[in-house]
Amino acid sequence: MDLLELARGPVLQAAAYILVGGTIWRLLGIILLAKKPDYSEARGPGGLGAAAKVIWSRAYTAEPFKRATLYPKIMGYVLHVGLFATVLLFVPHIVFFEGFLGFGWPGLPNSIIFFIGVATVISGVALLVRRLTSPVLKLISNFDDYFSWFVTMLPLVTGLLIPIRLGIRYETLLAVHILSVALLLIWLPFGKLGHTFLVFLTRGTTGMVFERRGAKT
Amino acid sequence: MTTVDGRTTLDREAERLAYKPPEVRHDTQGDMTTEQRVETAMHHFVKDFNTQTASYLDGCVHCGMCADACHYFVRTDDPRYTPIWKMELFKQAYKREVGPFAFFYRLFGFKKKVTIDQLEEWQHLLYDSCTVCGRCSLVCPMGIDIAGMVSMARHGMFKAGLIPHELHETAKRAAETGSPLGITPEKFKERVEWMADEHEVDIPLNVEKADVLAVMSSIEIQKYPESIAATAKILNATGESWTFSTDGYEATNFGMLSGNLEWQKAASMKLIDTAIKLGAKTLVLPECGHAYMAMRWMGANMYGKPLPFKVLHITEYLADVMNSGRLKVKKVDKSVTFHDPCQVSRRGGATQAPRDVLKHLGVDFREMPNGGDYNWCCGGGGGVITIKRADELRHRVFKLKMDQMEATGAEELLSSCANCRQSFDDSEQHFGWNHSMGSLMEMVAENLEEQKS
Amino acid sequence: MKYTPTVGEILQAKGVSRRGFLKYCATTASLLALPPSMIPRIAAAIENARRPSVIWLSFQECTGCTESLTRSESPTVEGLIFDAISLDYHHTLQAASGDQAEAARHAAMEENYGSYLVLVDGSIPMGNPGFSTIAGISNHDMLMETVAGAAAVVSIGSCAAFGGIPAARPNPTGAVAVRDLVKDKPVVNIPGCPPIAMVMTAVLTQFLTFGELPKLDKHGRPVAFFGTTIHDRCYRRPFYEQGKFAETFDDEGAKAGWCLYKLGCRGPTTYNACATVKWNIGTSFPIQSGHPCLGCSEPDFWDKGGFYQPLSTGHFGSGAKLAGAAAAGVALGAVAAAAGRKRQSKYTKEA
Repeated sequence: MDLLELARGPVLQAAAYILVGGTIWRLLGIILLAKKPDYSEARGPGGLGAAAKVIWSRAYTAEPFKRATLYPKIMGYVLHVGLFATVLLFVPHIVFFEGFLGFGWPGLPNSIIFFIGVATVISGVALLVRRLTSPVLKLISNFDDYFSWFVTMLPLVTGLLIPIRLGIRYETLLAVHILSVALLLIWLPFGKLGHTFLVFLTRGTTGMVFERRGAKT
Repeated sequence: MTTVDGRTTLDREAERLAYKPPEVRHDTQGDMTTEQRVETAMHHFVKDFNTQTASYLDGCVHCGMCADACHYFVRTDDPRYTPIWKMELFKQAYKREVGPFAFFYRLFGFKKKVTIDQLEEWQHLLYDSCTVCGRCSLVCPMGIDIAGMVSMARHGMFKAGLIPHELHETAKRAAETGSPLGITPEKFKERVEWMADEHEVDIPLNVEKADVLAVMSSIEIQKYPESIAATAKILNATGESWTFSTDGYEATNFGMLSGNLEWQKAASMKLIDTAIKLGAKTLVLPECGHAYMAMRWMGANMYGKPLPFKVLHITEYLADVMNSGRLKVKKVDKSVTFHDPCQVSRRGGATQAPRDVLKHLGVDFREMPNGGDYNWCCGGGGGVITIKRADELRHRVFKLKMDQMEATGAEELLSSCANCRQSFDDSEQHFGWNHSMGSLMEMVAENLEEQKS
Repeated sequence: MKYTPTVGEILQAKGVSRRGFLKYCATTASLLALPPSMIPRIAAAIENARRPSVIWLSFQECTGCTESLTRSESPTVEGLIFDAISLDYHHTLQAASGDQAEAARHAAMEENYGSYLVLVDGSIPMGNPGFSTIAGISNHDMLMETVAGAAAVVSIGSCAAFGGIPAARPNPTGAVAVRDLVKDKPVVNIPGCPPIAMVMTAVLTQFLTFGELPKLDKHGRPVAFFGTTIHDRCYRRPFYEQGKFAETFDDEGAKAGWCLYKLGCRGPTTYNACATVKWNIGTSFPIQSGHPCLGCSEPDFWDKGGFYQPLSTGHFGSGAKLAGAAAAGVALGAVAAAAGRKRQSKYTKEA
């Protein structure tokens, strides 16, 4: 079995199992903790509608904070939109998803994906620079932050290297790319990258509590 | 130029160069060994975790944007004032003891046990430099409510006897005498009678059955007694069947501010029991921010079931009766800006009420830039104003408030929180700022239309 | 010892023009990435070479390789070069059979001991010697006996090079490749199902010209032919870059000649010269005629998932295993939450 077969066979399989198992583990570990009933008289609608509202609305920055958070916000948007685009709109990726979802969707030309990928890496680097230079971020950052950055950037960089080649064989690069994706999938449920799914919980609970109060969300 | 602690610069023009290191004061209460304090703090942190806090503590992505929303960070650039950093010990306890991977955190020591040195440092971060204003909760891209967790973390700090002396003594006095400023029922009665005389207004006290129970905050009773008369005038004008009661009159809740849940519950239950005994349909809270949080949103949870009466902040009550035409006021020809008390507006959801009231008053209302729900805190909330050693920092952050207020060019500053008022008074004095913070309710009371009888 | 004519003399006798011959030499030089100055040397070497003795062994194979090499482009210079070698044993092509044929093999081995070439097509069954025999001799025995005196071995086709179809899972005969058995002789792999004829003659030409074997990649294939992927040289590559793909075999994309990636093309991971040398006298190759590359010159190509599954498709395990992982997650999450709550209630009691 060569590296590519290993990567997209057993390694990717194991990563998928860990991703699914780990995500459920973490979510249930949080959801099954005690819940505090709220007996106060509601002012606004709570419930899932309120949760959905804030899950959506927190994607935007409130006017008063726009200036102070401009840099990380723009970089954060580029990073997230870039990640979604490169992951979901690159045709070989769509074909990959089609492989187990059973359906596909239109993609973007490779040259555009490549450009987006480069922009995404640049935003990632910009955010890392911020993390390494801002006194606030230096203080609050830990291993998780740096490692999560690393495992997020790795698939991007290895993916971008595939067309560039650098004299390395395609299947080796593809295998390394898939291995880096596997690493990302394995780490995702356990570190801060868990915000991929935890964001629904955090924004959702805040929405439910504060919309119920009729307070600002 | 040399900076000694990152902030202090030596005065080179001084006769003799001198530097006095800042006094670091770590307060403790009770007789406990260091070990016991740590254990107690940890255990009480752990008790508070639930699905909501767990998702918050697990969900933080360390983006650091909360720092830019916090007046303490904005004014000092000290990264320790980053709101989420204030939760670090709470988070440490969570990850180590309760989180989904707690077993591994303990096994491999990813998160160490909290130490006494940390707890002492965090006393400063959780009390002196957080007014629980919740501005950070609005900037967080993950929607994490940090302010709510600061209140929770204070539970463990209190139990471990690790809170600022002044706040502890104030809270203790409140628990013992029924009021943080030592207003006993007799004293309250005296004050009510004095105001009734002074303003020639009927103030019902200890009526047996009433639809409305009104309560006051001790700051008002002590410092701004006019509020008592103003409240009475308004409630009389609406023709409400209402009363004050010496059984339950104190709206402030220092149990909540200091982190003592038992005291918090006792204080709330006093008001709840009184209201129930009166058969009151409504409990009208005074111009006090945290009283609103304590009773409107936490009261029922202290009671353990829904309250059998409505809870309204006085501005909500005013908006109600004015919108429905039950209370009429004369027009006031003044330009006014309004300072939203964090716990009533941003965190309490009653932001619209004072604006309705101001509309009825017909004033030239000037909203502050980034006012309303994004208002800067007065700097005195969350019990901070009681802590003497936090004064320097409190004054420092008040600068933001002054700028925000001055940008409106309004003649009159109004608020609906006695604690904010007190905080303004103190800072005005400190800066020699020639503005004075007034009360919205008092303005209404002063401009009531004569009743046609 | 009888006189053996040189290759040049043979070609002349067959009526190959000097011009046609030099053209062949030039093509060979370019295929081997040699400078033009080497063309005269190649020509001279071929012309003056004594017909080298070649023994061709066929084991578990379909004869497709032989068919490809002997029929596809006849009559060509390559074909004639084949005539020019002394193919002393090839049981498909030779007239002799049985003992007579074996005698020819032994004679060739004795006469050219240490200098003859062994060409093998087909894989060797190791499960049971009886699975495949020639004149009562098992494939393994015949191979080992024959290569003992060989100068070099050339594995023709993917079966000889990598085990091929006979070695596909579950590999009932225990088929192995020549390289798995022959460790002490140089073995050149010319995989493909079948391999390109030109590639084979070029390798033989290089051996004749320089007395050496070409540079090989990690799979033992001549780098000159297996150095780049089909994808890299594919004329449909621009469509890949533009994101234009045929979705089915009869859609507009397919008719317009767009990239066949989504139809399972193995071009990106297949190293071969099809896209440049092409087949049938440079006429076409599979992708040009509308079918994705199967990757036949790569090891284990038959076991790398369905031919029509796109290359980037992951090979996930069963849904049942995934459900198992989810169930494990549920269990771990429940246990974690229970443990957390237990600690909370323990502390509540203590307090």
